[in-house]
Amino acid sequence: MGIFGDDKPKPKADFSNVTGGVSSTAPPPATVIPVPAPVQTYTVVSGDSLSKIAKHFYGKASLWPKIFEANKDQIKNPDLIKVGQTLRIPNLDADTK
Amino acid sequence: MKRKNLTIAIVFLAALTAAVACKKEAPPAPAPVAVPAAPAAVSVADITLGSSLNADKTVVAVGTTFKSTDTIYASVKTNGTSSGATLAAKWTYQDGQTIHDESVSIAPTGPTVTEFHINKVDGWPTGKYKVEISLNGAVAGSRELEVK
Repeated sequence: MGIFGDDKPKPKADFSNVTGGVSSTAPPPATVIPVPAPVQTYTVVSGDSLSKIAKHFYGKASLWPKIFEANKDQIKNPDLIKVGQTLRIPNLDADTK
Repeated sequence: MKRKNLTIAIVFLAALTAAVACKKEAPPAPAPVAVPAAPAAVSVADITLGSSLNADKTVVAVGTTFKSTDTIYASVKTNGTSSGATLAAKWTYQDGQTIHDESVSIAPTGPTVTEFHINKVDGWPTGKYKVEISLNGAVAGSRELEVK
């Protein structure tokens, strides 16, 4: 103890267990739900391949796996697509473009 | 003489015709278009403190002195409309510590009441506190309170 009494600094008040909340009579702002763009479809014609279709829709034949992934329910082998099959052509993600 | 009278009559008739022709009525002024008044932007009308709330989120009894065990409510009345505004409360202790921050997004279409509250299970340290209310990031008002 010093001459002038206890010169230890007072401990800071602890507010770590303060809880709070808020509620309002005002409605919250409306949330805008993004509407997904409709997925295009393409009907396979004679001479088509996934790469050819990818080139047609995306400009890049190398993007054929996108179409394959979107149509796995009807395409088992990417090298084998049938004339008359209607394929879903997914929209490209922004990072794929 | 007859000729003179005829001339006078013709001149009179011509003058009368000219007067009628000149008395073309000005087109009526367009009717004033009723412009609906722009809705007033949202603003903070009042901030009150208390230890309990009514159902409409106003405080039951306005006060600035609280017990250690109280829940402290700040009831904020706003006027005006907005499609999206942020109302925030910052609670501070006398030593400058921020003890709680809270914000809410609102889209008021008229007068509204928003309540902010804080609670401390083991009781408030005695001393002076302050709550600062901000609207869209700008301080809209503050109230001081004391826990005894």
